[in-house]
Amino acid sequence: MIQLKIQTMLNCIDNSGAAIVECVQVMKMKRAAKIGDRIIVVVQKQRNFGPESGPGASVSTSAANKVRRGDIRHAVVVRTVKKLQRTDGSVVKFDDNACVLINKAGEPIGTRLNGIVGTELRKMKWSKILSLAPMHL
Amino acid sequence: MAPTTHSLRPLSCWKPIFRHTRLQKTATRSLTTQITQIKPKRTFEESRAIAPKRRSNFKILGPPPALKFKEPIKDVTAAQIAILDPTNARSNLFSKTNPEAAHVGDILLVRLKTGDPFAGVCINIRRRGIDTGILLRNELTRIGVEMWFKIYSPNVEGIEVVQRKEKRARRARLTYMRKPKHDMGSVQNIVLAYQRSRGALRGNGGAGTLGKDELKGGKRKIKGKGKK
Repeated sequence: MIQLKIQTMLNCIDNSGAAIVECVQVMKMKRAAKIGDRIIVVVQKQRNFGPESGPGASVSTSAANKVRRGDIRHAVVVRTVKKLQRTDGSVVKFDDNACVLINKAGEPIGTRLNGIVGTELRKMKWSKILSLAPMHL
Repeated sequence: MAPTTHSLRPLSCWKPIFRHTRLQKTATRSLTTQITQIKPKRTFEESRAIAPKRRSNFKILGPPPALKFKEPIKDVTAAQIAILDPTNARSNLFSKTNPEAAHVGDILLVRLKTGDPFAGVCINIRRRGIDTGILLRNELTRIGVEMWFKIYSPNVEGIEVVQRKEKRARRARLTYMRKPKHDMGSVQNIVLAYQRSRGALRGNGGAGTLGKDELKGGKRKIKGKGKK
């Protein structure tokens, strides 16, 4: 029963440069965050693009990292370990907690997502994130 | 009765006439020996029975009938299942008595009316009458995903058994399959092979829309994998 609340460590699944972020605030509500909720996070670990992009690309990788360790950013929860029941009675549960970083206007910072996201994002008007995702459930 | 009474009625004077009648009256009064029998009061039902039958619009009902349902909740459940599963196919697929039924450990494919079909290893069957549900686990884009489906849900179009477990599972709930040691990983390849074989079978007898849908779902999944 892992609820997504303050101090939860989440995976960041976009290519903004953050790998692991920590939730420091759930916005506009005093409860645990669900899929589609907006949270404020602190970047704890940066993604290392080195081996993927190959040698000589180190300058570009550092530039590709749009966020740095210690940055405070907004994010949208896209997967939760906590079970989430839908209106038709089916329940969905993922094996990890994950989020996508966004700017204050609500647009995603990264340009690509890797990994499945919950369909609840459509209901919460996050269709831009949904269209970036390779798969949704 | 001291004064003697005349047997004949005096004719001339009023006084003896009155006296005579008065005496006679007292005699009758004092001699009353016959007791008129007091009839016992009739009960309402008796009087109803005796009373002449009148036509009335007022219906008199008998006692209420005995309770029809011995186990009301069971009957309601049966009625609901009859509505949601008229062919009994879903009940049979998960019944405990059916030897051909799906068990935990089997790979099941749930076709939905809205959205793509979902396939995964069945790790739990929760039998609760109309609320009976199954828990499927799969790995999509390297992330483990678990979904509960209500088998009688109108949103569930059909449930197919893709592959059966070779050996019967000796547990009712295979939650240990969440652990990395026992995790089956992705079952997409098995499901895709099954869908292709089904599509081929359908192709011989005229391609159905269902087969096409399945193929489409399969293609989408491949794309998702390729991207990653």
